[in-house]
Amino acid sequence: MAMTLTIERVMAFMGLDVLVARDEGLFAAEGLDLRIAALPPDEIRSAAEGSPAKPTTNQGKLQARGESQMFQA
Amino acid sequence: MAESSVGARQVGRRATIVCGALVVPPASTIFTPQELAHKPVALDYGNGTAYAGLQMLEGAMPREAVTTCAAATSPAERFAGLMRGDFAATVLQEPWITVAEKGGCRLVSTTFFHGTWVATPDVDPDAYGALLRAITRAVHRINADKRRYVSYFMRDWAGHPDVDALRPDDFNLGRIQLKEPTAIPEDEARWAWEWMASWGLIDGAFDVTAQIDRSLEREAHELAAAVRAR
Repeated sequence: MAMTLTIERVMAFMGLDVLVARDEGLFAAEGLDLRIAALPPDEIRSAAEGSPAKPTTNQGKLQARGESQMFQA
Repeated sequence: MAESSVGARQVGRRATIVCGALVVPPASTIFTPQELAHKPVALDYGNGTAYAGLQMLEGAMPREAVTTCAAATSPAERFAGLMRGDFAATVLQEPWITVAEKGGCRLVSTTFFHGTWVATPDVDPDAYGALLRAITRAVHRINADKRRYVSYFMRDWAGHPDVDALRPDDFNLGRIQLKEPTAIPEDEARWAWEWMASWGLIDGAFDVTAQIDRSLEREAHELAAAVRAR
């Protein structure tokens, strides 16, 4: 049975390795069913709403509500 | 990293190293980071690129001269604001650094930084180890032929005319750096924490056990070690 892991969406500038590994079947070759979860567009907030000491970030939102196990910080 | 409500902690460095560039518009009279003293620099607070921006600025001037304003998370919006003249400079990452250069903007400073993986306590070390093995193979493939993979930077912004106009040869491959994923060095984690605290961005003393799940990190990296030896 394949192992599963759900991570939050990554973009190439910080997760090129993940995207290439997914597209070239490298996770599957390791027996890993890697799922990539994206925050619904209407829940994405802009950093422009925040301040240096109270930033607005989208990182970890899905993890905080149990919909992903890992994210990139 | 602030304390997680679900007990999540950092479990290792990610493999793609981010390049952040401090960029000024084409007609700017600014050529060095020092010349940005007391001028508004747009930062996406709370993200790595914003911290990179602060570090590039504070290396060039006293902290009281560092002047920032809140900017959008989207580098497309930051680039548009830069070109409109909303602020003197901003920090961009790829592919927007390449877009900016192609549009005549100047890079007055660049830097590189690691990010980390953050995991909940229920992550299975075998699954994380498998992730690391696959990522390590991907790093080897990308580093063997970076030009082949620059399309990924464009794919993230497909449909945006500035990005659609790019060609793979436009990218400076020196800004695309990947390294096999490793554990997080404690001294570097402490320096990052203390630096953030010095700016008032985080409270409390650094506690490595609260920040890094060394057990999961070690077990998964040991399981992944075989592929690194190949």
